Amino acid sequence: MNTALLEIENLRVNVAGTPVLHGLSLAVHAGEVHAIMGPNGSGKSTLAHVLAGRPGYEVTAGSVRFDGADLLAMAPEERARAGLFLGFQYPVEIPGVNNAYLLKAALNARRRARGESEIDAFDFLDMVRAQMRVMQIDEALLTRGVNEGFSGGEKKRNEILQMLVLQPRLALLDETDSGLDIDALKVVGRGINTLRSPERAIVLVTHYQRLLDQVVPDQVHVLARGHIVRSGDRALALELERRGYDWLLDAAPAVA
Amino acid sequence: MSALERLLGEFAALAASDAGVDGAGRRDTGADAAAAALRAQGLPTRRDENWHYADLRALEGIRQFRAAPPAQRTADAQLPEPLEGHARLVYIDGVLAGGSPLPASPALTRLPVAAVAASPPADPSGEFAGDARMGLVARMFAPEPLALRVTGSAALEIVHLASSTAANCHSHVRIELDAGASLSLVERQLGFGALVAEHLPPAALHCSNLELRLGAGAQLRHTRLQQAAGHALRFNTLSAELGAQAVYQLCQLAAGDGSERTTAQFRLQGRAASLRIAALAAARGAQSADSQFSIVHAAPATRSEQLFRGIASDRAQVSCSADVRAEATAPGARVQQSLRGLIDGPGAAVNLRPRLTINTDDIQAQHGATTGRLDENLLFYLLARGLEPATARSLLKWALLGEVFTAVEPAPLRRAAERAVAVQLRDATATELLQ
Repeated sequence: MNTALLEIENLRVNVAGTPVLHGLSLAVHAGEVHAIMGPNGSGKSTLAHVLAGRPGYEVTAGSVRFDGADLLAMAPEERARAGLFLGFQYPVEIPGVNNAYLLKAALNARRRARGESEIDAFDFLDMVRAQMRVMQIDEALLTRGVNEGFSGGEKKRNEILQMLVLQPRLALLDETDSGLDIDALKVVGRGINTLRSPERAIVLVTHYQRLLDQVVPDQVHVLARGHIVRSGDRALALELERRGYDWLLDAAPAVA
Repeated sequence: MSALERLLGEFAALAASDAGVDGAGRRDTGADAAAAALRAQGLPTRRDENWHYADLRALEGIRQFRAAPPAQRTADAQLPEPLEGHARLVYIDGVLAGGSPLPASPALTRLPVAAVAASPPADPSGEFAGDARMGLVARMFAPEPLALRVTGSAALEIVHLASSTAANCHSHVRIELDAGASLSLVERQLGFGALVAEHLPPAALHCSNLELRLGAGAQLRHTRLQQAAGHALRFNTLSAELGAQAVYQLCQLAAGDGSERTTAQFRLQGRAASLRIAALAAARGAQSADSQFSIVHAAPATRSEQLFRGIASDRAQVSCSADVRAEATAPGARVQQSLRGLIDGPGAAVNLRPRLTINTDDIQAQHGATTGRLDENLLFYLLARGLEPATARSLLKWALLGEVFTAVEPAPLRRAAERAVAVQLRDATATELLQ
């Protein structure tokens, strides 16, 4: 098998001195969609934020390689420019920072990192408008502050819009489905599927399998007490839907 | 000898020797009354609550108070591009340059100097009189007081320059807007302009006193951009009285290198008078930028809004006090206050003091004041999108200030204001973008 795009080995992470991830290992190859499921407090969001480089998470052991590079040695902005995208569970509002400006600045940061020239303003607008149509986002939101006054659904769709504009190699989507009604879920699912390609990978962090009806994963992992306790295909997600997590928690190693 | 004794002594000597600018004997410009008031009140001290955050230590260090002698006033190169449609007055060391030309506008006339003298010291109510003491200094030492009357629609730019880093500059201007008149007023306080070595004690004192009276239905749009270099200690005093349905929009940007104190007092005297203040202060080094706004709602259905945004970098101190009083005579008043400050340095401080005193039952008032460092969540969000940390920090700072910039009029001045603030914040990202 070819080298994994993302390779996590024995990752241990503390948050405020408390161990949260206890030796997690995972390999994600280009072209794959992985779903990481698990109960509250299992470490799903911690994993997503550690990979994106959020301050406040202490890696005590293990390694993460992204496209062959040491991800943990990179600053958050370097990870983003290398092609990693974190879709936030709770996208922040930034009044005064124009949505379009952020999109363009982020895109140009990636392009510069790849040695490309900055995008032409008209090409940028054409491209963003096309992606906004995919995500069914009102064009008026482009000139508003980032997520300013957006509904919960609009914020999540805006995250996926950013992902589509930036075309990351690896998208980590942290509970992108939370708070979405069924119609919005379909739109978000369609947006995520648009990104699927043999060159890219997607990791969906979610509680529920309903998003997986829209974005069918290649692999499903259950994270419990800071470990991956079970991996399987989509059938595992359906089984979790029927049986919940308790039967797997019994199998999870106790936390020291 | 105390600073007050030295100041009054200098004034007495000046009054004794001054035969008047026009050589026709000493004119009554109200300077004597101002001196008497200052003698009674004394100079402000840090024990005065409303002066607690002003840089009064620097004031103690000022060796001379009177304006510079009229010798080396050549500073044309320092003048910014003219603003389209605006008549321009240039003060150099407090003296009008070019023979005191009258602005070429039929709606704008110069009043006899007696009109300046006739105006009482600021704050008719007296409650905030102590806050306007440095305005008295401006009245005492202003070499060329000026009174203007606006009868129609006019636009005026007043530029304040200094001929050297050591030149004191004092100005005293009174502008009266007749009923229904409108004025676009731009003040640019540029000082000597060139940057000098930082962290030196100020060598010069710049005091300005601006008095405004808006008749019924008059409209005033006023932008004040302070970007003087750090060799001067600046005190701005402003007082305004608004008649019925008068509208006053003040946009003030303190982006100079030196310490600065603004005292601004407003009285909404007529029914449905309206005031909007949008102000920002950007300070760094060991600077102090202190703004004291006092607003009295004295009539029914009056409205006021105070928007303040401040950024304190390094060891700087930014302060804003917004003191609003709604009298019993002001039912139906509306007050809106939003004060926000950003602490952007290990030794920096932001002090925000909102205060509402309400003496009427019928009022809508809302206020909010927040101070803090850059929000780490917002910063991480931008970094996670690939932005450089410096760019992300810059974006968040400009987001904070954005509401004030949108209030800058006329539009061509906005760019200059943004550039001035970018330079003051040492924001290379924004400075490059604004070239």
